[in-house]
Amino acid sequence: MLLLANIKKELLLLSRDRAGLLVLFVMPMLLVLVLSLIQDNLFRATGETATRAIYLNLDQGALGGKLGALLESTGSLDLITDFAGEKRDISSARQKVFSGDYQFAVVVPPEFSAEITSAAETAVQSAFSQKTTDLTTGQLMIFFDPTVRGVYRTAVTNSLYRGLLGLEIAQKSEAFARLLPLEVQRSINQQLGTEMAAQMQLDLPVISSSWSRQSLIELTEESAYPEKYQTLPTSVQQNVPAWTLFGMFFIVIPLAGTLIRERQEGTLTRLMTMPVGNGSLLLGKVFAYQIVCLIQFGLMLSVGKFILPLLGTPVLELGSAPLALIIVAISAALAACGYGILVGVLARSYDQASSFGAVSVVIAAALGGVMVPVYVMPRVMQDLSVLSPLGWGLEAFLDIFVRNGNLLSVLPGVAALLGFFLFCIFCASVVFCRWRRGI
Amino acid sequence: MTQTPREILLSTDNLVKVYPAADKPALDGLSLNVARGSIFGLLGPNGAGKTTAISILCTLLRPTSGGVSILGHDVVRQAKEVRRLIGLVPQDIALYPSLTARENLRYFARIQRIPSRKIETRVNECLELVGLLECADRRVATYSGGMKRRANLAVGILHQPEILFLDEPTVGIDAQSRSMILERLTELNRGGMTLVYTTHYMEEAQQICDEIVIIDAGKVIASGSPKTLVNDAADCSNLEELFLALTGKQLRD
Repeated sequence: MLLLANIKKELLLLSRDRAGLLVLFVMPMLLVLVLSLIQDNLFRATGETATRAIYLNLDQGALGGKLGALLESTGSLDLITDFAGEKRDISSARQKVFSGDYQFAVVVPPEFSAEITSAAETAVQSAFSQKTTDLTTGQLMIFFDPTVRGVYRTAVTNSLYRGLLGLEIAQKSEAFARLLPLEVQRSINQQLGTEMAAQMQLDLPVISSSWSRQSLIELTEESAYPEKYQTLPTSVQQNVPAWTLFGMFFIVIPLAGTLIRERQEGTLTRLMTMPVGNGSLLLGKVFAYQIVCLIQFGLMLSVGKFILPLLGTPVLELGSAPLALIIVAISAALAACGYGILVGVLARSYDQASSFGAVSVVIAAALGGVMVPVYVMPRVMQDLSVLSPLGWGLEAFLDIFVRNGNLLSVLPGVAALLGFFLFCIFCASVVFCRWRRGI
Repeated sequence: MTQTPREILLSTDNLVKVYPAADKPALDGLSLNVARGSIFGLLGPNGAGKTTAISILCTLLRPTSGGVSILGHDVVRQAKEVRRLIGLVPQDIALYPSLTARENLRYFARIQRIPSRKIETRVNECLELVGLLECADRRVATYSGGMKRRANLAVGILHQPEILFLDEPTVGIDAQSRSMILERLTELNRGGMTLVYTTHYMEEAQQICDEIVIIDAGKVIASGSPKTLVNDAADCSNLEELFLALTGKQLRD
């Protein structure tokens, strides 16, 4: 009865602060919406989908077009050749990158075909004559947005090198096919004399150039742990649960705030002189805010399921284990509320609670892979990431959403979250008891 | 005719409280006896140890040494039992400002384990007693200072405690609210409730207390009925003059 009275009181207090309630529900939804959209773009930019880039082909021959086709065939680049009525020249390509519309532009110069053909021919001739010749190589220009990060820049450059290498091999093969009969004829003429060679009906070798396009080795890509990572998460499957957990853990600040306010207003002192147990006082708050957390969770999943797809992201697939999903959500909410109680008991002022609570949640989120995946972190951070409750929750959600996880597979995460909740409540109870006993 | 000695409801024996890092004790051998049915005034200048004493008596603070018992229950070892017997009207308005007075009283009534079927009746009785029945459904935040003090009192008496501790219950309110609170306290006492009362208003203490102790530096410096104390003191016509004579006129904070 006392627990119910405390839950009812907390809910009544929450309902009286409509602006606060709005913030509790609307802000996490906005957080999930905005950050999922931003991260979705990052997912796209870092390889989940093709990168859009300006392709200015000024080549007077055919190789500029061939290079473009080769680049697009890699699947990692989506080349934009239409300048929407603007002048197609180097300065406007540079301007489009400079203004941030595109992260890079490839400019193929007018003499590209002529230069590469000539260079290929020279290279083959040098090979036949067993001499080293300085080649006059063709030039390809790339403009990068200066804010583009290293990995992204390297990925784009690698795609270009791959395209250019294919083109070079094709051109060298063609030159080889064309020059080989001439070189054989020249060699026979030289060894037998022109007259004798002319009397002989020689069948000189003819080489098809298509051999250069055939792969000799096939690269097969396979997950090191196919049972666990059968499917990779989409941006929404990664971001919605990640930022949902982040939003849920921010309950720490209002929850700690209620304890601090009760201390400051004197109501907690009054309650401590009454026949009510510490558990009832603390758990009343936990269960009331647990309800808030679960409503937040439902709203944030709805954002992923219904609102984000309207803005161009994939639909959030919730997996096929609703019971496991609910149990993970309840465990995560309990962990968040338990932490809120602990912060509320330890902090001496609202300012302390809000700054410590917020910063600690951000750190736990960063460690848990909410902001960047754990595998890109330094080794030390990767080792520390196993300590983050947000990481445990995220792993459990991803297991359900992406790997068809069930109650059994999320059990370790659930146990860790519930253990964290019990640890926080135990520590908070110890401090609370000391207050109550006047120590 | 001999007067029957009244039952001692609360007693402290040589109570000492030393706060960590303090150079002198807040309570230094305080011994009190509060008779059942009395209004007991605990007076003293700021820093004398009144709030420390009330906190120990209400189970909020552990004494460094000495004994305290209420109706035979040791306040330290039997805190749970003691909490069922006591009521506290703290100096702060210890209410939820965003709830109405009725909601506050209902909540504290549940916490005081008043049976559900009796809660509404008891809440209405208390609201009526402090003159807040008509505005019981207004949020406490919208109340005047006097109304808040009266609501604060109502919460303290909800469960009809054996002994009610009042820590400066009339501070900062108008004469009307103050007069009403004092009247209600007298009524409650007539109904059998024992009151332990701290105040800085000497005329209040003189008006309602059966017995007072004046403490300073954690020690009792005078005790007895207000009337006897004033009569026994030369050159003092009222309790305030006696108080200043005993504790001095120098500022304490």
